Amino acid sequence: MIRLIPNSANQIKRAEEICFKFDDQLIKAHKGETILVALMKNGIHHLRDAPTDGKPRGAFCCMGLCQECVVAVGGKLVESCETIATDGLIVQSLRH
Amino acid sequence: MTKTYDLAIVGGGIMGCSTALRLAEDGMKTIVLDQGDLGQGASGVNAGTLSLQIKRVKLMPYALKGHSEWEAMGEAVGFKKTGGFTLAFTEHEAELLYERQALKADAGAPITFVSNNALRAAEQNLSHKVLAASYCPEDGYANSSLTGQYYRIRLKENEVQFREKCNVKLITRNSSGFNLTTSCGTVHATRLLLAAGAWLKPIAADLGVDLPVRARVNTVSVTERMPPLISSIVGHATGLLTMKQKSNGAILIGGGWQGQGVPQDGRGNVTAKTLIPNLSLAQHVLPELSNARVTRSWVGFEANVPDFYPLAGALPGIENAFVLGCVRGGYTIGPYMGRLMGDYILGQEPELPLFDPGREFSEV
Repeated sequence: MIRLIPNSANQIKRAEEICFKFDDQLIKAHKGETILVALMKNGIHHLRDAPTDGKPRGAFCCMGLCQECVVAVGGKLVESCETIATDGLIVQSLRH
Repeated sequence: MTKTYDLAIVGGGIMGCSTALRLAEDGMKTIVLDQGDLGQGASGVNAGTLSLQIKRVKLMPYALKGHSEWEAMGEAVGFKKTGGFTLAFTEHEAELLYERQALKADAGAPITFVSNNALRAAEQNLSHKVLAASYCPEDGYANSSLTGQYYRIRLKENEVQFREKCNVKLITRNSSGFNLTTSCGTVHATRLLLAAGAWLKPIAADLGVDLPVRARVNTVSVTERMPPLISSIVGHATGLLTMKQKSNGAILIGGGWQGQGVPQDGRGNVTAKTLIPNLSLAQHVLPELSNARVTRSWVGFEANVPDFYPLAGALPGIENAFVLGCVRGGYTIGPYMGRLMGDYILGQEPELPLFDPGREFSEV
């Protein structure tokens, strides 16, 4: 496709970078992003195992309903699509 | 020339739709009108419990017939016959359970009392503090959110006319029947059936009839998907809990705890004051629920009259007008009540007696 206007992508000013822990992995994110967005950007899609058949599950609705992106933050279960990542956060998957 | 229907039904829930289907069998030209979508009132937001253990004794013959209707509807309404346990935790509750369930068993429900060992063998995850339990193999559930879709298909198949999002604003009588002024035009019909559930009172008032209809505001909650915890439906001797786990793992919790609101103002609201004891009781019965998060709670309006028996028959004082509603346990019994109502409107003798809406009401 022909670009009719200049590519301005490199001019987007990202918020400051932060870092949180997902299981044993350090995840880089930008301030203001949800945990889910940061994980997906890092190629992580498998967030939990289904409570019924144990098969892998990840984000589906991305609006806080389906519960498939739920992770544990400080022992509390939260929807990662609805929870903003903060620096130093400890996030655990519900993968078995 | 405007078409005249043999019957206009105000209210497209289980009662209205099942009556329309019965009438279609005999070729009556019927139209169903609903202010919203079909089956979106009590018919579509209740917890879906089909339990003979929570039916009133006098309604048992109707409930038994209702159960067969649901079983016949089967997969299309998410019908599952799981069997059901009702639990008692204190001496008082145990007495209540024995007294109530014995009467229901006498009335024809196959309810038995089961030992703690039998209960534990069937349901390992229930509280070990149970003192007494009853069991009914006929109990189960259906998915109430499929009600509207089910009847929409059935009405179409049977070529019954229906209008959704069609608000009936005014009903007047003339020499040839009834004129209904609605948000989707005027409807003429020689007969009229009011089947508007919790909205019956204002509609009957249009015709100058005062029906003593009130509404309960029942709360239902659903949890996130959980590993398999219970396979039967579970209730409490006081009637303050119904619980079932759906095949996707979600657990549905009801029990008739009262939220807030009135039908005239819309959907009603859940309140923490009643939701918390509802969920606490559920967790007392099934301790594993302490690990479950509730994803949604909602309320629905269940209509009743002071004696808690149905309104099913002629609308008092208005020729060719009928009313059907306020059926305690209406989800279970509704499809059968509609069939009886249809027989009555067709001038046939219903298999079981109806409930005269013109009777004297006494508070129970």
